[in-house]
Amino acid sequence: MKDVFYFHRLMKYTPAQFSGWVEYNGYMSDLEDAKLAAQVTQGDEKAFLALYDRYSSRVHALTLRILNDPMMAEEATQDTFLKLWNRAHLYLAERGSLLPWLLTIARRVALDRLRLEARRPLLSDADDPDEKWQSIPDGNTLSDEHRWRSLHFAVQSLSAEHRQVIELAYYQGLSQSEISETLGWPLGTVKTRLRAAMQQLRREWDR
Amino acid sequence: MPLKEHTPFIENIPAYALGSLDAEDASALENHLKTCNSCRSELTVYRAMSEGLLAAIPPKSPPASLRRQLQSKLPSARRLSPQPLRWSWNQFALAFAVGVLVLLNAFSVFQMQSLQRQQAQLSYQLQSEQTALALLSYPGVKTLAINTDGITGTLLLDEDRNAVALFAWNLPPLPDSRTYQVWLIGAQGERVSLGLFHPEPSLPFTSFSIISSENISNFVGLGVTVEPSGGSSHPTGTRLLTVNF
Repeated sequence: MKDVFYFHRLMKYTPAQFSGWVEYNGYMSDLEDAKLAAQVTQGDEKAFLALYDRYSSRVHALTLRILNDPMMAEEATQDTFLKLWNRAHLYLAERGSLLPWLLTIARRVALDRLRLEARRPLLSDADDPDEKWQSIPDGNTLSDEHRWRSLHFAVQSLSAEHRQVIELAYYQGLSQSEISETLGWPLGTVKTRLRAAMQQLRREWDR
Repeated sequence: MPLKEHTPFIENIPAYALGSLDAEDASALENHLKTCNSCRSELTVYRAMSEGLLAAIPPKSPPASLRRQLQSKLPSARRLSPQPLRWSWNQFALAFAVGVLVLLNAFSVFQMQSLQRQQAQLSYQLQSEQTALALLSYPGVKTLAINTDGITGTLLLDEDRNAVALFAWNLPPLPDSRTYQVWLIGAQGERVSLGLFHPEPSLPFTSFSIISSENISNFVGLGVTVEPSGGSSHPTGTRLLTVNF
């Protein structure tokens, strides 16, 4: 039931939610993903593993960032790909690229696990060194990689307070009221800082 | 819509795109979005940006074992994994029948061995009684009554042939570690073993008969004691009865 709920949420967000990814991977790569996803729908395990090989490092990085626990992150990564295996027919290529769809699932799986474990968010910066960006191998994704890298550095350049609200709101799934309670800030302050942080990131995004 | 009314909604769009807006504010914004094109456009940008944030994390490969684990959950791996043994009804019935036959066979072997033991005992008993009957029919046989501590019976003694037959009633049963031993008693109190016997639990009396290599006329009596299984070289246990010749 929970899965259905999540996928309804996903569908509700499309196509606008995925529209920012039109350029992602390039046209040919999107076609390839769409073809692989269609093959997964037919039960093609090789296609499924090809998608795993292509995107597992992205999914795992996100689950690890949210859960901050290697074991739980591995489980969440596995759950995400099992959802891809079982629900590939819900992915509609004409609405957007596969990766954001997969990452949105990964985020929800990880946040769900976080709630189940009743863990409170850790207020730490990402511990991944920036050097890892250099290991991205796929030439087709360079333009998107450039955009994500810029966004990453934009997040890093936010002030500590602004980075904290983005972290708690998006990577820990807290509402503004919950952030206010967690940090002991007035709700108005949380709203102002969150809005200011997003506006600053948008300037980088729109560039 | 006047800017003053529009502003609170547009300010909430970034938090809404991140999924962080509180429920009440989110509901009000959703109502507003139904009629406001500019706010919908704004939301489109922030949603795309929030998705960008999901990928704006340096990639990190999971351990190789995770791929193997995932592969093991796919249908082809499940088909290859060993299936638990499942028996059909016919196989189950056959196994049951074989089991019953084995049990019956083992029971039959046990019963046969028991019958063989009984047959050997009865054969010995018969031989003993035939000896006793033969002795009874012989003219010079002495018949001596036994009546000691509740044990009654008869002792037949043929001194010419050195034959002895003992019939005793109410002999108490013995554990396997013990046996009855019959002794000839000499005039000086010396004891010479005549043999061992065990009471037959299925019969009310016990018989013991033997033709001795000793000259019975040199002895003055006969006694029975309880000894360890296998017998003793001289009496060591409780004396059960004594008969004087």
